[in-house]
Amino acid sequence: MTRHSPGRRTDRLSRRAFLAAGAAATGALAGCIGGDDEDGNGNGGNGTNGDEGDGEPSSPDVVNSSNAPTTPSVEDPPDAVYLPTHQESMEHLETVEAGEYAVMPMLTYPHKFWLVSGTEREAVTPDSTGVHLMATVWDAETGEVLPVDTGAQLRLTRDGDLVDQRAPWPMISQTMGFHFGDNVPLPEQGTYAVEFDLTPIGGDTVRKTGEFADRFTEPRTVRFEFEFDQEFQESVVNGVEYLEEDQWGDRGALEPMAGMGGMNGEMEDGAGDDDMDDGGDGNGSEGGMEMSMPFSALQPADAYLGTDLGTLASGDATFVVRYLTETRLTDGSSGYLLVSPRTPYNRVPLADTALAVEGALEGELIQTLDSELGHHYGIAGDLASDEQLDLVVESPPQVARHRGYETAFLEMPPMTVEVP
Amino acid sequence: MELPDPDETSRRDYLRSLVAVGGTAALSACLDLTGDESGSGVPTGDPVERPARQHAWNDALGTDDDGNPRPPEHHVLVPLSLTTTPDADASDTVEAAFQSLERAYAHDPAGLLFTVGYSPAYFAQVSSEKPIPAPEAITTLESPEFDEFDAVVHFASDKAAVVMEAEQALLGETDEPNGVEMDATLEGVFERAEPRRTGFVGPGLPAEHTGLDGVPDSVPEEAPFFMGFRSGFAESQAPEERVTIQDGPYAGGTTMHVESLTLQLQTWFEQDNHFQRVSKIYSPEHGEEELAGDVGEKLGTSTGVAGEIAERTEQDARERGMVGHAQKAARARDDNGTPPLLRRDFNTVDNEVPGVHFLSLQRSIDEFVRVRQAMAGEDLAGEGVGQRLNNGILQYIFVRRRGNFLLPPREDRALLEA
Repeated sequence: MTRHSPGRRTDRLSRRAFLAAGAAATGALAGCIGGDDEDGNGNGGNGTNGDEGDGEPSSPDVVNSSNAPTTPSVEDPPDAVYLPTHQESMEHLETVEAGEYAVMPMLTYPHKFWLVSGTEREAVTPDSTGVHLMATVWDAETGEVLPVDTGAQLRLTRDGDLVDQRAPWPMISQTMGFHFGDNVPLPEQGTYAVEFDLTPIGGDTVRKTGEFADRFTEPRTVRFEFEFDQEFQESVVNGVEYLEEDQWGDRGALEPMAGMGGMNGEMEDGAGDDDMDDGGDGNGSEGGMEMSMPFSALQPADAYLGTDLGTLASGDATFVVRYLTETRLTDGSSGYLLVSPRTPYNRVPLADTALAVEGALEGELIQTLDSELGHHYGIAGDLASDEQLDLVVESPPQVARHRGYETAFLEMPPMTVEVP
Repeated sequence: MELPDPDETSRRDYLRSLVAVGGTAALSACLDLTGDESGSGVPTGDPVERPARQHAWNDALGTDDDGNPRPPEHHVLVPLSLTTTPDADASDTVEAAFQSLERAYAHDPAGLLFTVGYSPAYFAQVSSEKPIPAPEAITTLESPEFDEFDAVVHFASDKAAVVMEAEQALLGETDEPNGVEMDATLEGVFERAEPRRTGFVGPGLPAEHTGLDGVPDSVPEEAPFFMGFRSGFAESQAPEERVTIQDGPYAGGTTMHVESLTLQLQTWFEQDNHFQRVSKIYSPEHGEEELAGDVGEKLGTSTGVAGEIAERTEQDARERGMVGHAQKAARARDDNGTPPLLRRDFNTVDNEVPGVHFLSLQRSIDEFVRVRQAMAGEDLAGEGVGQRLNNGILQYIFVRRRGNFLLPPREDRALLEA
C-alpha cells in the first residue's frame, strides 16, 4: 500500500484550493453524463444544497474517464419491493474479527438511499466524491448476522488525522440484507484507516434470548484500511450490471450476494490485504481465509414451530405469526406470540419496527434476537382457538433503504390474526 | 500551531481562530486588529463588585430580542496542574492573581466573566473529602477520555482579545492586561495542562466555519449553534439558584460537567431534511406543526416541550418512529417544570473538527448524569427508535471527553481546602 510522504497534511489555504478544484471537477462531470433519479424526491429536499443540482449523478467522480454509470431509475415504482435497473458492484474487504463479532467492510460508489422517519422517507443523494461504505456484522461463533441497530460508529483517519466520524445508518438492501452504511465524502485519493466501534447489543434496544442472552455485552472496535483511488473508482463503476430493461420496476428482488460470489476476481486484491494483524483482539487467524459473508436471511415460514397463525402481509412485508406454548421465551406461565416481519423474496428481517396487538391479546411486542429463532417481535400471553386479534404496525421499520426497498414497508395497515 | 492568514478569513472567524491558537503571537495579532477599540473599549473593574457566586453571570449578560440571556461570544477552558503543594501562601498568590484580573476587566461580557473549578484529582491531593465523583462514561455509546488535571479556568467574553489576554496574564505570559498591572500570577503554583479548549457561540458564528471539511455550506447563516438551531432558551435553563449548592462547606458554589463532543454535520444537514432536524432537535410535534421556524426563531423563550410533549416521548417513539432531543431532556425536569441544568455550552472547531463543549452547571453531578441519561433515551430504544436512529440527535454526536469540577463560592476559589 502506498504511504504518503512526510510532508504532512496541507495547511488550510491549500486544502481549500483543493476543495475548490474538486468541486469544479464534479460540476464538469455532472454536465457530461446526465442525471439519475428524476423522481422529484432527490437532493434531500432540504433546499439548502440546491445549487449542486438535482441532476447530479449518483456515481463516483471518475475524472478522466467516461465510464461513470448514468444509472437510470425506475420511473414509477410500485409501492412494493421492486427490481431496480441495475445491480451495484462493490469491493469486499477482508473479514475482521473482534471479540464475539465478525465484520465485513464493503465499498462502492456513493449512491442514493433513503432514510425513514416514522412513515416519511427522505432521499439521500450523494453530492461529493467519496465512497458508500458498508459493513455487515455477524456473530463470529454462529455466523448469524446481527440485524439490530447497535449504535455503531466509525472514525475515518488519513495519516493519523481524523477525516470523518459518523454513525452509519442501519440499512437494508436486496443484495446485502441488513447492514450498516453511509455515503462518506473523501477529500482526496489515498489510504484511509477506519475504526469501527460496536456497542453492546441489548439493554432496552433488543431482548436477547437463548444462547444470545448473555452475549454481545462488551464494546469492541474493529480496524481496517482501504485505498481510495482511480482503480477502485473505475472497478466499482465498471462492475455495474444492468438488468434486462423489461424487468425494471417489476415486483421482485435481486438475489442476495454471498461473499465474493458473483464479483469480479480482481476484487480480491486491493485494500485490506495486510491489515489482518491488527484486526481486533480476537484470534483472527482464520479471518484471512474467510471470504464469504453470511446474509441476514430469516428461516422460511415453514421452519417455525408452534401453532401457525398465518403468514400475513402488510406494506409488501411478510409477517410470519406463530403461537408457542412450549417455549423458553416466556417464564413458563403463559404462551408466546411470535411475529417475524421480513422482506418478501429474500427474508431480510425488518428491524426497528413498532408492533402491537389488540383484541384477544393486547400489548406491545418486544424486539427480540434469539439464537435459534432469529430476529422477531414477541409478547407473552395466552390464546385460545377461534380468538382473533389485530396486529398493528405502530411505526414501520425505521431502517434506511437501498434502491428497490424504498417504496415498500412504509404504509402498513393492520392485519387480522385468527387463532385456528 | 501556526497563526491563521488574515486575508483568507472573515474578521470574526479570524478572531475566533486566534483564540483557538492562543499564545502571545496570537494575542498581539488580535490586539493589532482590535487595538483601536480595545484600548479604550474594554472596561476595567473592581473585585468588590463581583458577586459571591462565581457562576452568577446572568445579571451581567445581555439578552436577545426575545429576552433570553445572550452568552458571551468567545470562550476558553484552560486546564491547570499543580506544581506545588497547596498552602496558605500559595492560596494568597492565587487569589491575588484572580483579583488582578477582576481589576483589569469589568464583570461584564464586554469585560471578562470567569470561573475556576477544581477536579476530583485536586481533592485527592488536598483533602479526604470527595465532593464530586470522578467522571465516567454515561451512555453505552461512548468511550470517552477523562479530564485528569487539577483545575480549570473558564474565560468568557464578547472580546476575543480579552479571553486570550486574561489567560496569558494569569499564567504570567503577558504583563498589564488591559493596562492594569498584575499583583500576582499562577506561576509557581499551577502550570498549563492539556487539553486547552476554545469556542464560540452566537448567531452567524457557526456559518463562518464552512471552510472546514466537517462544516457543510448548508449551516444556516443565522444559526447560533452548529446544529443550526437556537438553544439556551430561558425556560429550558435552570435558574442560577437552582444549580447553587445550598448547604455544607461548598454552599454558594456549584458543580460543572464538561462534555466534549464531535458533531457529524454533513449527515445532519445534507441527508436529513428540515422536518427531520426540527423533529429530532425539539420534538416530532415541532416538525409536524412547523413550530420552530428556520433556526428556532419562532420559539421565543421556550421550546414548549415541557409537560405534554415530554410526557408523550415514549408514545412518539412507537407511533411516530422519532423523538426529539429537547423532548427527551424535558423528562428529567423537576416536578414543577424547572430544568436542573444551566447550560453554558459553546461551539468549537478545536483540531479543525466541528464540535461542542457541552459545559453544564448543576447542584450535583448526579443531576447531570440523570438528565444526560434522559437525553440518551436508551429506555426508548428498541421499537420505533434505535439506540441512535431517530433517537433525538444521537446519530450526529460523539462523546470524546468528560470532566467533573467543583466551582466553590468566590471567597473560597483560591485553592480551597489548602
